[in-house]
Amino acid sequence: MGPRWKGKGSEAKALGDPMSKIVSQLQSSLSQSEAQGLLCGCSVLLGAKAQEADLLNRSCFGVTITTAEKDRQWFQLSMEEAFYLHYSLKCLKIVDEDRRLMNDEELLLYMKSKKETFPDFYKAYSHLRMKNWVVMSGVRYGVDFVAYRHHPALVHSEFAVLVLSSEEEGCGGANARLRTWSDIHCTTRLCSGVVKTLLVLNVSRNGHGDGAISLSRTEKYTIYEYTIKRWLPERCREDHGLVKSESSSCTIAEDGTK
Amino acid sequence: MATERDISGPVPSGLDIGLRSVSEERKVASENDPRLTDSSSRSAGGLVGDTMSYSLLMEGAKREIYLGGEGEESDGERYSEDSDDEDEDEDEEYSYASVPVSKLQPRKVLSKGRWIKEMGMAEIEVQKGPIWRTTGIVRFGKIYSSIEEVLFLAELGAFHLTDDTGVSISMEEMYMKFSDEKNGCSWEHFQAYKQLKALGYIVRRHGIPWSLKSGNSNSESISPQSSLEENKVVLKSEDNISIVGMFSRMHINEVRPIFDVYLPNSKFRKSSPGDPSFVLCFTRVYPPSKATLEVLERQCGGVPLKFCHVEQGRVSFFSFDKVELPVLP
Repeated sequence: MGPRWKGKGSEAKALGDPMSKIVSQLQSSLSQSEAQGLLCGCSVLLGAKAQEADLLNRSCFGVTITTAEKDRQWFQLSMEEAFYLHYSLKCLKIVDEDRRLMNDEELLLYMKSKKETFPDFYKAYSHLRMKNWVVMSGVRYGVDFVAYRHHPALVHSEFAVLVLSSEEEGCGGANARLRTWSDIHCTTRLCSGVVKTLLVLNVSRNGHGDGAISLSRTEKYTIYEYTIKRWLPERCREDHGLVKSESSSCTIAEDGTK
Repeated sequence: MATERDISGPVPSGLDIGLRSVSEERKVASENDPRLTDSSSRSAGGLVGDTMSYSLLMEGAKREIYLGGEGEESDGERYSEDSDDEDEDEDEEYSYASVPVSKLQPRKVLSKGRWIKEMGMAEIEVQKGPIWRTTGIVRFGKIYSSIEEVLFLAELGAFHLTDDTGVSISMEEMYMKFSDEKNGCSWEHFQAYKQLKALGYIVRRHGIPWSLKSGNSNSESISPQSSLEENKVVLKSEDNISIVGMFSRMHINEVRPIFDVYLPNSKFRKSSPGDPSFVLCFTRVYPPSKATLEVLERQCGGVPLKFCHVEQGRVSFFSFDKVELPVLP
């Protein structure tokens, strides 16, 4: 399944404005303004001036919060997004409710306490973001993330992403998905219904999963990437069907995307 | 198929493509297809005729027909190519009034074979039809067929099986040969075999050479006797140290490559079969884990894998393909 661009000109627009450039503009802008996010439950709240707000929107970090405040646009970042800006891009400081700066390890521990699978999810999120894919919540489709080739205004998401923890570790933090055939049927059927490919990011802790979590340990995690597709023998009797695995020329809009 | 995918395209051209590809497929299918060899009943067969023959084969389950499903996609939400039309036409599958009566007719000219118990295979004595170009293995100038090949033809009324004293073996006795997988094929494996074969795919037991003459190197075993044993490739603990931790789970979930599958191909020759399109694997209980996938990929040496799940006669195939998403600009 190739990318499904939204309308004419979208592809050219995306090509002319690569995501890597937008993100690096965002990175330098946030660094210059020494942006601070406020840790708030499972979110990080960030008030952004017009230029930053524009960059956040174009690079798809966070969702906007509508307020009457005129000079700042508020954004709500997910933990993965906030940690990526903070730790990978080093352009966002995060403070707790006492306005105290949190360091990397504190943040990781806090986020893991909120969401047991956070280290694996973060690994998966950053894996895709570092390849300049736009990653957003996949909860609408019953998966962990959806991955876009560019801004969702220009293109439909291509992948529905599930983050699995390698079972060999046997320890906590495993995302218990795709363990049964019924769940595989369920997930692939849903994905094909919304014209996405199911992408599994299997995070291996390589023996660094036990004991206290730390950033040096998460650095050693590796990712095994694979897709799961239903294969229909009725439709793949000729060679191209098997090789290309059914390209789609469908242009019906999926609902709900911006 | 094109008709179902191109739903956004202009209708007339979409239809056109659909019809053309259907007739091409039909040509290919007829080469390998025992049901299409009977010229008297088939000569006038247009699309409807073929659809009928497929539905006959698949016990009236129209959803399984590869031509099926056209014109069912009208409800707007169904815009995927993988819409498998299963629960939408559920009504057609079930008949309250009566058990559907088989419309299959026994053939006048039958292929015949003799079951050799020690081999767990049939020695073919009479070959009728082009089906034998893609069925059975050749050993010492004779064709030997596995139980799934025999039953597939026997269910169609195209094969007569006897024991070594010449007494014919009934359907029931053939079905019994699947219990305990004692002839190397389980009932679930057979269901998958049947579906692929009915669509014209060329299927053989994994790793068993079509003939001994073939210089093809992708097969490991030599004689039919030993090959049946070797067919059971079981994951061993020494395969990979990193999977030791989850070995207990894998043990329950023994994964096995069962069939080598080739795309429908009228030019197929047993003496030069080429590489299979994919290896069809079965798991005992759960879907394959990542560790299993890694081990199997090494074992099958680059030939793609597919996994089969059979439940209540419904056969589903899945591919688990290692990918690497590109780095975007």
